[in-house]
Amino acid sequence: MKTKAWFLLFLAAAALLLAGKGLVVQVLRSNLLAKPDFLSASLLAVQKGTKLELIETQGNWYLVRGAGGQKGYIHQTAVAESKVSLGTMVPGKKGASEDELALAAKGFNEGNEKKLRGGKGYNFADLEWIMEQNAALAALAPFVRDGRLK
Amino acid sequence: MKKLLLIALCALLLSWRPPISVKKLSKAKKGLDLVSSATHKISEEEEYYIGRAVAANILSQYPLWKNAGFTRYLNLVGRALVLRSGRPEIFGGYHFALLDTTEANAFSAPGGIILLTRGIVDMAGDEDELAAILAHEIQHIVSKDPLKAIKSQRMKALGTFTAGEAMGSSNQVVGILQDSVMDISGTLLQKGYSRTQEKNADLGALELLAATGYDPGALLAMLQKVKAVEKKKAKAFSAHPAADKRIAYVSSGVKAEQAQSGRQARAARFRKYARR
Repeated sequence: MKTKAWFLLFLAAAALLLAGKGLVVQVLRSNLLAKPDFLSASLLAVQKGTKLELIETQGNWYLVRGAGGQKGYIHQTAVAESKVSLGTMVPGKKGASEDELALAAKGFNEGNEKKLRGGKGYNFADLEWIMEQNAALAALAPFVRDGRLK
Repeated sequence: MKKLLLIALCALLLSWRPPISVKKLSKAKKGLDLVSSATHKISEEEEYYIGRAVAANILSQYPLWKNAGFTRYLNLVGRALVLRSGRPEIFGGYHFALLDTTEANAFSAPGGIILLTRGIVDMAGDEDELAAILAHEIQHIVSKDPLKAIKSQRMKALGTFTAGEAMGSSNQVVGILQDSVMDISGTLLQKGYSRTQEKNADLGALELLAATGYDPGALLAMLQKVKAVEKKKAKAFSAHPAADKRIAYVSSGVKAEQAQSGRQARAARFRKYARR
């Protein structure tokens, strides 16, 4: 039984080596784009933690494939290399993957912010108004074009 | 079957590790101690939460100008610049907003929250000059200058916590967060960045303006306006170096960058939004 488990582990490791390099979205929100250009059409919205498969690199851009097979471009600054720990695949071993640990905010996080909320010297109510006022990516392309920007 | 056994044997050989001696365990523990006492490195997500707290602190000192139309326009100009910057994607995205004060100033909180006062927006004659102010602040974010304002002792203290303690929200971590926020706010509102940081932000802004299609000369024009205000001893860019010094190196930088077309068209939409 144990031999079978180790055999499966070996096969999984071999599959990982043969498969494309894994990437994980490290920003809250991003997009898979039609071209390696921020002003091109968005094909798929992706969120923090979304796993992607690297197909090829083009300058500062990655051509990737999402879990649903959707291909698109994403900027290098939006993703981190996905390090799959073989340790977490060992039968019976539990715990967070390296991805999960890397993405968790150690030190300063949402929980700490909650403790500051309502305290003297912090105005989070107005901050939330600012966070809601965002220019959509779709509005940016005509803005750039009309202003003869690049 | 023999092949199967051979593969399984290979897997076992690959996974086999010699038993760890007590001596080695002791070495490993020392290594772990070194890691836990190392200076804490701020992740992108932490930068976001520190930035939120810094912005919330500034908003407790300056009223927010809730002009949705102009704020949206400001975000479009800012995002157009950001896409050509060295850090186009940031954990929570860039956000630009206005403070309702006649004081002429601009602040860049970590994580991409950039606040401009009505005073500085009123000084800008057109979109290119507005972009020049934003480009300078974006360069501070690209260089992570606000984070460099945090005293090293804070990160050393955080480095001594175990992963579990640091990931929680203990009073000690919250205390370090508050102290870090005060370090950054103090730099943004009073102390200011170093001259080298300011010079790099100005020169980087010239390149960013040119890369986006804005006229780099707009930064020089803005600095000349600031200089004129400084002569009247008004409160303008109080935490920045004197405009005279900045004008000298920006002038030579502008010559290297090409002037861009379409400034008139951008000036027209600036007037449209500024009137609102």
